[in-house]
Amino acid sequence: MKKIHVRDIILIALIAIIFAVIYVASDNVYNFLTVLLSPIGYGSLANDITMGIWCMAGPVAGFLVRLPLSGFLGEFLGAALETFMMAQWGAANLLSGLIQGFGSELGFTLTGYKVYNTFTLFLSATTTTIITFLYDFFKNGYNQYPVYKMFIYFGVRWISMIIFCCILVKLITNLLEKAHIIKNAQD
Amino acid sequence: MNPSLKLFLVLIISLEISFKANLWANLIIIISCIIYLLAHKISPKNLLLLIAVPLLAAIAMFTSIYLASPSKVIFAWVLFTRIYAFVFAGACVTQTTTITQLAYSLEKNFKLPSKFVYGTLAAFNVFPKIKEEVIRIQVAGEMRGLYLSFWSPRLYFKAILAAINWADDLTQGMTSHGYRENQPRSIIQKIPLTKKDWLIFVAILTIFQPILFLT
Repeated sequence: MKKIHVRDIILIALIAIIFAVIYVASDNVYNFLTVLLSPIGYGSLANDITMGIWCMAGPVAGFLVRLPLSGFLGEFLGAALETFMMAQWGAANLLSGLIQGFGSELGFTLTGYKVYNTFTLFLSATTTTIITFLYDFFKNGYNQYPVYKMFIYFGVRWISMIIFCCILVKLITNLLEKAHIIKNAQD
Repeated sequence: MNPSLKLFLVLIISLEISFKANLWANLIIIISCIIYLLAHKISPKNLLLLIAVPLLAAIAMFTSIYLASPSKVIFAWVLFTRIYAFVFAGACVTQTTTITQLAYSLEKNFKLPSKFVYGTLAAFNVFPKIKEEVIRIQVAGEMRGLYLSFWSPRLYFKAILAAINWADDLTQGMTSHGYRENQPRSIIQKIPLTKKDWLIFVAILTIFQPILFLT
C-alpha cells in the first residue's frame, strides 16, 4: 500500500482549513438554531443539525487522497488548527476532532480503502454518526434524556451527516472527477 | 512546561470530565486555568472573548436538560461548566504556546514523523491566503449572480482546486529548501523536556483524580 507523503499531508491540512473557514463563516446558522431551539429545550439539537457540515473535511480528504489515515487527518488537523486559531472552542474541539476523525476513517477502513463510491461515503457518514453520538451521549448529557429524545437526536444527526458528508461530498467529488482532479490527485 | 506534555495533560483531563459528571471538578479546573492564564498575562480582551463566545452553547446545554426535567438542575450546571472547563483548559495551551513550539516539541520530544510536523505547519502558514481565496471565490460568484454558501458544491470544488495547487507549490518549495522526508534533521531550536515537566504532569494528574472521583 502507498505511504502518505508530505504533499498529501499538506493537501489534507489545506482541505481541513478550507472546510473550517467555510464552516466558521456560516457559524451564525449554529447560533441562530441555538437561539431558536433553546426556549423549547432542544438547544443542544443545533449541534446535531449542523454536525454534518462540521464533519465534511474527513470524507473529502479520504476520498481525494485515498490513503489510510487521510480521513482521520482531514478531521483532526482541521480541529487542531482551529483550536489554535479560534481559542474560544477550547479543548473540546480537539477531542471532538479526534473522535470525528476516528469515525470518518472507520468508514473507509471498512471498505479496505479499495471502494470509493456513494456507499463508501454513506458508510463513513454512518460510522461517524455512531462514534460521535456515543461520545456526546456522555459529553453532552444525552444519557439523561428520555429514550424517544435520544432517537430524535440520533436521527437528526444521521440525516445531517448523510446530507452533508454523503450527498454534498459526492456532489463535490463528482465535480472533481469531471475535472479529472481525483485521478490527478493520485499521482 | 513542555508544550506537548501540557497538551497531553489538557487532553487527558478533558476526556475525563467528558465522561464523569462532577460540578466541583469542573469549577476547580476553570478557576485554576484562569489563575494560570492570568499568571501568563492573558489580555483582558482575550479573557472576555473566552467567556462570551461559548456562552450561547453553554446556555443551550443547560436549558436542554433543565427545561426537560428541572430536578436535574445540578447536572444542567455540570454541562454548563463543562463547556467552560474545556474552553479554559484549551486556552492554557493555545494562549501560552505557539503552534510552532508545539509542533517542534511533538517532533523532537515525542518522535512524531517530521512530514506531519512540517506538512501541517506549511498549511497553517497559508491560512490567511485560504481565507482570502474563499472570499474571492464567493465574490466572483456573486458577480455572476451566484450566491455560494456552505451548501454549494461549487464553492468547495474551487477552493479544493486552489488547495491542490498550493499543496504542489509548498511541497516543491520545501524540497528546494532542502527538506527530505524520513531523513535525519539537524536541530537548531531545542525544546527541553525535563524531569520537572514530568513531575508537574504526574502531580497534577494525581491530585486531580480524587477531586474528580471522590468529591
